[in-house]
Amino acid sequence: MASVLVTDDAAFMRMQLRDILTKLGHEVVGEAENGQDAVEKYKKLKPELITMDITMPEMNGIEAVQEIKKIDKEVKIIMCSAMGQQGMVVDAIRAGANDFIVKPFTPERIQEALDKIL
Amino acid sequence: MTTEQRSSVVTKLLNGTLSSIKSVIPIDYQIEKPKMVKEDLQLFYGVLIGITGDIRGNLVFTGQQSTFGSIGEKMFGMPLEGEMLLSFSGELGNMIAGGISTSISQDGTDINITSPTIMQGNTVLHGHKQALKLTVNFESVGTMNTYLLID
Repeated sequence: MASVLVTDDAAFMRMQLRDILTKLGHEVVGEAENGQDAVEKYKKLKPELITMDITMPEMNGIEAVQEIKKIDKEVKIIMCSAMGQQGMVVDAIRAGANDFIVKPFTPERIQEALDKIL
Repeated sequence: MTTEQRSSVVTKLLNGTLSSIKSVIPIDYQIEKPKMVKEDLQLFYGVLIGITGDIRGNLVFTGQQSTFGSIGEKMFGMPLEGEMLLSFSGELGNMIAGGISTSISQDGTDINITSPTIMQGNTVLHGHKQALKLTVNFESVGTMNTYLLID
């Protein structure tokens, strides 16, 4: 079981991810609404895994991954974005993300990503 | 932008939109022939997403609130209302726009999208040079219009 911080500006998506992750046996320890919020909640909650949207107000997901990886290189981050173009995936992986899931996603795709990186 | 360039941009966006709607929404549908719209857009419920990068403009998805709710129910298996329906509507627009950006990147066009803005109540959009309206009728769910507004 991993402790997870879910990051997405859409409350609906946070609810979906919380539901899927909880059913897969993980504990969602917090939710963040944008990149800046994710960095602050990461410092406070120290989760083992973070799910990260990309297009968000205040600070986008790629910048947030860079900030969080400066604090802890080992934390696992899965990007969950509607934009799946190659350039975006490469930017996310370069920033330090461990996997990239394109929305809309299935519980099976989330499970597959977790199996790979945890 | 020349007329030829504009036509190529519109074609790319249109094809990208069709491919994205098909991959995001798991409901059978019929598409009406796209129409050019020159007048202001009046709507009562919808989602606006900005496009930046190689193409600049806006995407607007409109329909009955209940249609967005039924699409959400078909996609995620639960009825949606209130704040969650608003949030889902924004996310649906985000997923379709994200799918368009993924689709058109395959021929070298690089765009980025903004966070969605939900429009509720009588809203009029004006100031665009050109709008293309694409109407999609989802089986037993309702109609969603997509407007491509190119700067």
